[in-house]
Amino acid sequence: MEEYVGELWHKLVTRVADKQHTEAAVSLDEISKTAAIFFRALGGDPGLNLSAAPATRHGARRRWKERLATSGERVELSWRDGETLRLPEHISIFSERSLNRDLYFWLVALSAVETDNNLPWIQQNQQATLATLARFPGLIARYQRLVAALLPLRVNPENLPTAEAAQEFAIRLALMQPGSVKTLPPSKTPFYPVALWTHPNPPATAGSNISAGDGAPERESSEDANIAKSRRKHAAERTDMPDGKDGFLMMFRAESLFSWTEYINVNRPQDEEDDIESAALAAEDMDSMTVARDGETSVAKLRFDLDLPPAGEDETPLGEGISLPEWDYKKQVMQVDYCRLQEMVSAQTVPCELPAQLRRTARRLRSQFQALAPTRIWLKGQQDGEEIDLDAWVRQEADLLSGVHADSRGLYRAQVNQQRDLACLLLADLSLSTDTYASDHARVIDVIRDSLFLFSEALTATGDQFAMYGFSSLKRGNIRFNLLKSFEEKYDNQTRGRIQAIKPGYYTRMGASIRYASTLLAVQPQRQRLLLLLTDGKPNDLDRYEGRYGIEDTRMALHEARQHGLRPFCVTIDNEANEYLPHLFGASGFAVIRKPEDLPKELPLLYAQMTH
Amino acid sequence: MQNLPFYQVQGSEIELFERAWRNRLPLLIKGPTGCGKTRFVAHMATKLGLPLHTVACHDDLTAADLVGRHLIVDGQTVWTDGPLTRAVREGGICYLDEVVEARKDTTVVLHPLADDRRILPIDRTGELLVAPPSFMLVVSYNPGYQNFLKGMKPSTRQRFISLAFDFPPAAQEEAILVGESGIDAMTAKRLVSIANAFRTLRDHDLEEVASTRLLVYAASLIKDGCEPTLACRAALVETLTDDPETAVALREVIDATFGR
Repeated sequence: MEEYVGELWHKLVTRVADKQHTEAAVSLDEISKTAAIFFRALGGDPGLNLSAAPATRHGARRRWKERLATSGERVELSWRDGETLRLPEHISIFSERSLNRDLYFWLVALSAVETDNNLPWIQQNQQATLATLARFPGLIARYQRLVAALLPLRVNPENLPTAEAAQEFAIRLALMQPGSVKTLPPSKTPFYPVALWTHPNPPATAGSNISAGDGAPERESSEDANIAKSRRKHAAERTDMPDGKDGFLMMFRAESLFSWTEYINVNRPQDEEDDIESAALAAEDMDSMTVARDGETSVAKLRFDLDLPPAGEDETPLGEGISLPEWDYKKQVMQVDYCRLQEMVSAQTVPCELPAQLRRTARRLRSQFQALAPTRIWLKGQQDGEEIDLDAWVRQEADLLSGVHADSRGLYRAQVNQQRDLACLLLADLSLSTDTYASDHARVIDVIRDSLFLFSEALTATGDQFAMYGFSSLKRGNIRFNLLKSFEEKYDNQTRGRIQAIKPGYYTRMGASIRYASTLLAVQPQRQRLLLLLTDGKPNDLDRYEGRYGIEDTRMALHEARQHGLRPFCVTIDNEANEYLPHLFGASGFAVIRKPEDLPKELPLLYAQMTH
Repeated sequence: MQNLPFYQVQGSEIELFERAWRNRLPLLIKGPTGCGKTRFVAHMATKLGLPLHTVACHDDLTAADLVGRHLIVDGQTVWTDGPLTRAVREGGICYLDEVVEARKDTTVVLHPLADDRRILPIDRTGELLVAPPSFMLVVSYNPGYQNFLKGMKPSTRQRFISLAFDFPPAAQEEAILVGESGIDAMTAKRLVSIANAFRTLRDHDLEEVASTRLLVYAASLIKDGCEPTLACRAALVETLTDDPETAVALREVIDATFGR
């Protein structure tokens, strides 16, 4: 009963205190793609990805209603760092939807401008405003509308103590006449956040204190549609998992009360947390989060995008294999011989036939793809052509002489020439995430296996040269490159056995695998060479190969492939691929298969479209 | 010189063209679509007083389409010259636009013309044409095309002097818009600013970016009294993308420039 009344009170008081206009809210999801393109068009860094900003405490004076409801103490503001452009998850501060939407685009435009980071925050924002308005004069009217709508929503400076009022006046002046305010007057109480500007002191991602993973693969939870997935990235820090062997629980609660978010290295074996909703709510409420890596998966797992700073590099000596470079985008240098790739072939393969359930589809694909096989034929009776069709001419002349009405068929012969001078290397991602279930009865790896089978059937029918490899990695010293079929080998029971034997590996160090695959493909004599990448997610690995580092290295590897005259193309089943694949493959260089179970059928058709 | 087509000089391309022509060297012009390749050739042909034969290449173009073929006229076969043969006979310029679109075996007929022999053997009639000194072969292609099944044979490519074109710098592009359509300098400046914003999206969100030609179209619509944002939407946004979300983003850029 107590709880029930409490809940009612909370709802009531929050509604009274809330001055957001939820009915006019615009969410980041609605406009994220458009906003990202807008950001790039205005000259923003194309390597950044867009994500929702976590709400941060502003500490400014709140109205009594808000204090009563303990709401309004956090605010979502936008900011930009090396990897991400963060925008509020929702904007609902104005009562008009169009104004809320305009504010999104204004924030994007403002973030696209480079400003001098050494300037004080208030000057930086005014400078960015001026630069944006100068370059895009069409925004002036919009900016003025936004300022006019924003000012009445801010605290009236006349009701504030002197120091705060001076601050508020300065902010108002800077909004109305950008460039006019040089400094922000000091005040003990922080000012009320300015929705039109960037975050005054964005939370930095915490430093890493992890001891470079113990090599246990990090499991990805199977994607459960019921789990509400927050777009938000949490400011995160990373630490070691308590090993749980030794340890007394020694804590003096009375002396020091830890805040909720402070990480305490206690020996607490994890429970299965079934109450995902409450966990999600708790996560939303935290300022930062501490995570540890372990090999355990809980049955139900809360998914967030953790914004982890990269872990320290490992220093293990590199084993045998092929040395490959890796691109470090921060330093803008190619790190020579940085990775070690090992080509391997599955040892215990049993040669096998095509699985029975695929035979029908395979037969249909073969007959379809035979039509693509190279042919060179003369078409007769054409209206236009290189040669005269003598038969047709003689027939027409004879018809004319005998008085029969001659039909006006074409009198020329034309040659139709379908050349296919093509080599294709298919590179399949065999990382651990392929172990998850794609549908009720098949894992991703099973879908990939079927796709490889049908793809081989189709390509064998066309006569195009092709090779197939799989890859996975465990840090830079151990990149496994599984041979399934080389260019020289025939597609037979032996290669089918290898495809049958593929299994999920570790992580996805894409760059190195692409570089090695490019060298294999580049020596093929064919004039058109297609590098087809089949994947289910972003590049990532245990060491710092994640986030932008991995993306940029992959991008560089693809760039090199293009310079070798290869054409890379990516087929993915990752529904969020639109966020990063355009940066890697270009707008038309990839295809997203929405339903993974369709991949086996779609892949050969995609190939046909690409090469016909 | 009559009706010299308008051409805004970007660099030393006119000088190079003239030198190539004087020295009987074939020329390859590469650059994105709508950046002025065809206009440049037309300008040069008029300037040098040479007849121009333009062939828009396509993937069904055969050697016979270039050289010529027998046609049946009144029960007789009559040999008809193709544009290439005509240009050789007249000593004019033969311009093959988008030459990579043509099949590779087609472009091989250019080989004897494009090296120092400068001959065109016509095997169907047994004729051997020797090109006069004023004859010039010019080809163009767009390297940005993602059409990876096509490309130029290295043996063809290595017979040409190459000239790379790109979209002109902002000031020159503005001058082109003013010169072509007669709009005011301010509108031209804004159009070029939009185009340059779109051009940063190349290879990422857009396959093809706004060409100078499209800008001229937009400028012509505006000159005719069309509302600028409407003109830009019709000439730029809808032409460049079919994706609704990309189109919204492009429209935002236009609104950010012309105001809303």
